[in-house]
Amino acid sequence: MIIKKPSIYIYTDRPDTAVLKDICAGIEEEGIFFEIKDAESASVEDLAWNAANDSMLGSGIGISGLAAALQMKGIQKEKPVEAYNSPDKSQCRKLGANAARAIKKTAFK
Amino acid sequence: MSLIAGVDIGNSTTEVCVGEASASGRIHFLTSASCATTGTKGTVANTHAIKAALTKAMSNIGRDVSDISLIRLNEAAPVIGDTAMETLTETIITDSSMIGHNPSTPAGAGQAVGEILLFEDLSRGVPDRPYILAVPALYSYEEIALSVNRVSQTLDIAGIILQADEAVLVENRLEKKLPIIDEVARIDKLPSQVMAAIEVALPGQTIHMLSNPYGIATLLHLNAEETRTITPIAKSLIGKRSAVVLKTPGGNVQENVLPAGEIYLDAQNSLYINLDEGAHKIMEAVADAGTIRDISGQPDTNIGHMLSRIKRGMSQLDDTEDADIHITDILAVDTMAPVLISGALAGETCLEKAVGIAAMVKTRQLPMQAIADTLKRELDVDVKVAGVEAVMAGLGALTTPGTMLPLAILDMGGGSTDAAVISEEGAVTMTHQAGAGELVSMLIETELGLGDRHMAEQIKKYPLAKVESLFHMRLENGQMTFVDESIDPRFYGRVVLLTEDGFIRMEKDIPMEKIVSVRREAKRKVFVTNAFRALRKVAPEQDLKQISNVVLVGGSAEDFEIPEMLMEEFADFRIVCGRGNIRGTEGPRNAVATGLVLSYAGERP
Repeated sequence: MIIKKPSIYIYTDRPDTAVLKDICAGIEEEGIFFEIKDAESASVEDLAWNAANDSMLGSGIGISGLAAALQMKGIQKEKPVEAYNSPDKSQCRKLGANAARAIKKTAFK
Repeated sequence: MSLIAGVDIGNSTTEVCVGEASASGRIHFLTSASCATTGTKGTVANTHAIKAALTKAMSNIGRDVSDISLIRLNEAAPVIGDTAMETLTETIITDSSMIGHNPSTPAGAGQAVGEILLFEDLSRGVPDRPYILAVPALYSYEEIALSVNRVSQTLDIAGIILQADEAVLVENRLEKKLPIIDEVARIDKLPSQVMAAIEVALPGQTIHMLSNPYGIATLLHLNAEETRTITPIAKSLIGKRSAVVLKTPGGNVQENVLPAGEIYLDAQNSLYINLDEGAHKIMEAVADAGTIRDISGQPDTNIGHMLSRIKRGMSQLDDTEDADIHITDILAVDTMAPVLISGALAGETCLEKAVGIAAMVKTRQLPMQAIADTLKRELDVDVKVAGVEAVMAGLGALTTPGTMLPLAILDMGGGSTDAAVISEEGAVTMTHQAGAGELVSMLIETELGLGDRHMAEQIKKYPLAKVESLFHMRLENGQMTFVDESIDPRFYGRVVLLTEDGFIRMEKDIPMEKIVSVRREAKRKVFVTNAFRALRKVAPEQDLKQISNVVLVGGSAEDFEIPEMLMEEFADFRIVCGRGNIRGTEGPRNAVATGLVLSYAGERP
């Protein structure tokens, strides 16, 4: 039996360190686990969509360079729940927190 | 062939109805419409809404307002409803001395007591003295954790208060686990070197030490006298997940009972009653007083100001010499209002006792003729003031399939609840009672602390649902509905109102069950109370059992739950009660306007 921690997947393609760090902080504050994986992909939407579909919790984040997107399983690839081209610190925190809140079923920030 | 329009001006809505009168006197109804009333009922400002509603109705059938040959205005009952809220108690905290709130993610658990130490003064701390560290948002969670870990050997840090939402982040990086409270916006108001007690509840629980006066006394070493003064703080912290209580030397908390004032009833049996006796006693007094000539309040008290303000508003409508303005009825309702505690640090509120009051003002006559003249001049159409409101409403209500005389109608509007009984011979008995839809909105607004009347009106009108995932939501009756297209993430995890044109999001984080119970309770308090009051007044021999049929009309009869509430209540009296369906098509609206057009046929020579 393979035992995996239920976690939010973050698929990254050469991510900006500050963006990645603040998104992770946003998730951590909400108390949910996350896993970061390097992946190569055409777009941040692709990364997020794949991450959401691979995560058993159904919540995934894609980060490509400065851009970041939040996706949930069951939503069309072209319509991420939340996406930024170059998010500031509070937007990163918010994106991370919302990835966690999507699982906790509490209202988004 | 001529087009006849009936116009009914209400406290909140203006309704029109247009019918075609054939040569034989038969009326054929063509169209109807409604608009929000402009200005106070019975003033010339009403003409704007009348014109708008007429234009709307006529454009429905592709015709112009100038095609109308006669407009019939109702002789509106000279009563106007007004509402006000009076808080009876208040809590004042002099010197900031508490924080109590529900951050979404506090960290750690337990209580701690210590002296407040600002983060920038960390190096000035002395060993063997417990401290509560206060950290503004400009420091990052890594800096905070690093510094606290570094001093943990020398200083006794017992707990942390953060301005930013980073409690879990800091706690995860600490070597020694501490209770941490975050999202304290006004951290700059925390005085340093003051004793403070903080508490974070275990997950799924609420705080129990700081919500208990003796708990606070234990932690902060208070004597009996100080414990008594701290009780309101403990009371206002009940149900919180985290809290801070400061022991400020000059700090003081008072729970004041405001002098609310007396209400004087000038009536058959004149009497007076103090407002703070509560709604139940006030309504008993109103019932005991018999026919009321006028109601006034003790001068220089809140109730006195409120009642004289209502009268003053009315006197502007009728400025003739012999204007005869009286408050003839009030409806008082007990309520709880969340009031901002003066002196609290994070915008905390305390539930205070309050009384909501609707008053009914009566004057000799409303200047309806002035409205008619203005309308005639502006539209170049013949305008006539015709018919008593209650009679017209009765005529309109009779177009509901399945009704016959004798008939009781209950007209539940925005400003007043009116009742009329029409006997088989056509004799009409009627009454106007203070309190209707607007009082319900006010109660919802105050009890939920919305500070937004429009939102309260929406809550009154529409059922609720909680969006539980992007593809389903739970309705307030427990049902689940699923949608094909994913719900907009803005609504995710939120309580929403289900309107005809989509969702309205509740901005405040209030549980759905709480909103439902406040809404239902407000409607029950106003409409059930008033329905009985009104019908008892008009019933033959004041006996409800003498009434067999009640037709509910007016805007509030359109409500999705009020008619059912009344049906249940009236079932005990074997009364057939239901929402009217004017002309079999209009629902409970448009009764008066329809009656006005119908009465034209009867009046023709």
